Amino acid sequence: MVGVAIDDSPDDVRPWVENITFPVLIDPNHVLTEIYAISNVPTVIWIDEDDQIVRPNGVAFGTDMFKDFTGVESAPHMEAVRRWVRDGEVPIVPDEARQAVGDLSADEVLARLHFRVAAQARRQGDEVAARRHFQEAADLAPNDFTIRRATMPLVGEDPFGEKFFDLYQEWQRAGSPYHGLSAGDAT
Amino acid sequence: MLSATIISDDVRRAEATPVDARLLVAPERLADALGWELKPEGLCRNDICIPVRDRASLFVGDDVDLAAVAAALGRAAVVDALGGIAAVAMDAEGRRQALDSLHAPAFLLDDLDGHPHRLEEWRGRKKLLVAFASW
Repeated sequence: MVGVAIDDSPDDVRPWVENITFPVLIDPNHVLTEIYAISNVPTVIWIDEDDQIVRPNGVAFGTDMFKDFTGVESAPHMEAVRRWVRDGEVPIVPDEARQAVGDLSADEVLARLHFRVAAQARRQGDEVAARRHFQEAADLAPNDFTIRRATMPLVGEDPFGEKFFDLYQEWQRAGSPYHGLSAGDAT
Repeated sequence: MLSATIISDDVRRAEATPVDARLLVAPERLADALGWELKPEGLCRNDICIPVRDRASLFVGDDVDLAAVAAALGRAAVVDALGGIAAVAMDAEGRRQALDSLHAPAFLLDDLDGHPHRLEEWRGRKKLLVAFASW
């Protein structure tokens, strides 16, 4: 396991990774969400010994903490991971894996750039410029949680509060777009 | 002149001058700013050179415009000139190729103690790469 926290500072991450023994990296500028076309977390990618992706971006959880909300059980994916590690069994053929993650649109890339500028402006203490660029990013990628929800704690909003539930409903109305396998696919 | 922050797959700092909505850098500072330098054969990084069709379009006076250089590299960019911040997209063609070839794109990211790590470190092992967040 390699964890990558899509978070602004190590202090945001530490409370979540106490007693964790696998490496945890931090990606304050959302590099990973651009090069792997990631639009929400948690996103899990299976990568083999030769750095080939055998199961691309997929929604999966380590526990059932959010099961009632997301409807996603953790066990089938965990079982599939065990079969891969133990027996080399891969639940998806390469052609499907190739089709599973749509490329980012030009607007989704641009949204990531505005997000980076906003986060840096915030670090430099320029809240006005930060808000302007966060807003541009949200307008360009309204259904991307790595933009919209990641912005919330950086502008003083609660990412588990009412605004999140509004965002979640907006996303569902848009057809629950996600760059990757839906939960339950290919396990 | 200010110390600008240029964010792409890494974070760079370089002296730059904000002029209107642009960030300008001296040509000899371009490598500091973007990791690419302007040579007679084009914009070059390591052994790769990308020819520049309209070299004059990169320049404002004696300086080069960061956004114009990004465009010449085929990359989107967002500039906040007054804040001295530029964000330059990564190689879109590289991402398309990775999605198609299923070869996991390389990355370089710090752990929580600030030590850098690359995906290649774990070659020879099966990996679950888990993107998560506190939000």
